[in-house]
Amino acid sequence: MATREIISSGNELSALAARDAGCKFFAGYPITPSSEIMHEMSGLMPEIGGACIQMEDEIAGVAAAIGAGMSGLRTMTATSGPGISLKAENLGLAQMTEVPLVVVNVMRGGPSTGLPTRVSQGDVAQAKNPSHGDYKSITLCAGSLAECYTETVRAFNLADRFMQPVFVLLDETLGHMHGKAILPSEEEVAASIVPRKTFEGPAEEYFPYECESDQPAVLNPMFKGYRYHFTGLHHDKRGFPTEEIETCRKLIQRLEDKVELHKDELELYEEFHTDDAEVLLVAYGSVSLAAKEAIKHLRAEGIKAGLFRPITLWPSPADKMKELADRIPKVLCIELNIGQYRDEVQRATGRLDIDGLFKVNGRPISPYEIVNKVKEL
Amino acid sequence: MARTLMRFTGVGGQGVLLAGEIFAAAKIKNGGNGLKTATYTSQVRGGPTVVDITLDDDEIYYPYANDGEISFMLSVAQVSYDQFKKGVQDGGIIVVDPNLVKPSDEDRKKWNIIEIPIITIAKEEVGNVITQSVVALAIANTIMKPLDREVLIETMLSKVPAKVHDVNKVAYDLGEKYANEAMKK
Repeated sequence: MATREIISSGNELSALAARDAGCKFFAGYPITPSSEIMHEMSGLMPEIGGACIQMEDEIAGVAAAIGAGMSGLRTMTATSGPGISLKAENLGLAQMTEVPLVVVNVMRGGPSTGLPTRVSQGDVAQAKNPSHGDYKSITLCAGSLAECYTETVRAFNLADRFMQPVFVLLDETLGHMHGKAILPSEEEVAASIVPRKTFEGPAEEYFPYECESDQPAVLNPMFKGYRYHFTGLHHDKRGFPTEEIETCRKLIQRLEDKVELHKDELELYEEFHTDDAEVLLVAYGSVSLAAKEAIKHLRAEGIKAGLFRPITLWPSPADKMKELADRIPKVLCIELNIGQYRDEVQRATGRLDIDGLFKVNGRPISPYEIVNKVKEL
Repeated sequence: MARTLMRFTGVGGQGVLLAGEIFAAAKIKNGGNGLKTATYTSQVRGGPTVVDITLDDDEIYYPYANDGEISFMLSVAQVSYDQFKKGVQDGGIIVVDPNLVKPSDEDRKKWNIIEIPIITIAKEEVGNVITQSVVALAIANTIMKPLDREVLIETMLSKVPAKVHDVNKVAYDLGEKYANEAMKK
């Protein structure tokens, strides 16, 4: 694999990834700690004939990005938790209309305005269900500088494969930390791009929402002679509103099944010293960096600790978590929230004795806090 | 090389972040690993800011300095000095601008405190207050010697506009001179 070394920050790497993955449009509204993404995109997009627009607010930012997705472009917006709260309604629209879109959320302290410049992982539950109704979130979570890049690239391909918004969660620590990242070459990234499917036949035979029960809609770019309709209402095969009972049921079931029945295409995780582990740490995002450092210290003292790090948070790698929890007696979830993912670990493993180390004051969890907690277990 | 942990502190707007980026980048160019993290408040200017710099030949996971492990800190604001000094290990070096930071007698017993008028040097001798971050960079590298001087200067120049290369070279030389003099005392 051809690689390149880049010295940068997580936010800047996420923007670079978008460009390399073929993104041609960015719309958003600056918000700490994500603003550098938009700043970078404002330079990168015009260079390749794309566009970056600062809209009047968060809602318009996602709306414009969805519009670009309807026109067939790879499109992105970036924000933080308060921005997702505002974008929620339109994210639901993108789920219902099946418009692909990458949404980067650089997490900061919440709820509400929270701690704007501080680190948090408080948006993990929000990413699962930002909007009302039934749909299946796809949420990826970077755990290193390099993954700020590679997970953004993966998000673009998944958005086009599953035809829906895909979240990339960073956090303030990853977004702002500055160091070395080993990335795949631009050529390799370009070769990995799989664009969305399109219909090639005569326009009168094109029905965008007429698809297999586990497959996404096939949305041709607008303004190319294929006419159909976008609506947030339940809709028929051409996209027009309907209340026909079976059509409505099939539509929502399909939104679920197109992801649920293809989880294997989404699953991604890292195991770090889990082979002989007697204590399993579960952590993601920047917290996993502290966990790895802690594991080095613990192993030096003879305590066999290992880390399971989900990279795709939603849908969760439930089977893998169960397999590990079935053989490792002590499991500790470490999060910068009050157990938002521990709930999922408990559900997946069927174990209610999962311990937690949680912090919600905007400060990172240090390796020593983890070491001390593990020794108490 | 063992891990080097350094901390630069000031208030928002003083440019301490850039010095951290330069250190990390120079270490990486030398074939090692470097990470810079910064924490700041939602106050854009005037809030306490801290930059942690981790340099290591091996992979670095956790990007922040653990309290009590920092061997070198530089501070140009009392508010940040007070808030972040506890991270420095006993006997560690703390460089302060004596016009802006007044360490207590107790602090002087605990740490090796070196006084260098960083802001005055930048403002009056270099003639550009913005060069204070390069003066600070030079002081840190001269005292701690984590990196080759030439690589650091080259990296620093690659991060500032060409038209201010000369003034920043002057700033580096002055920082180095003052650091050498301070260490002789």
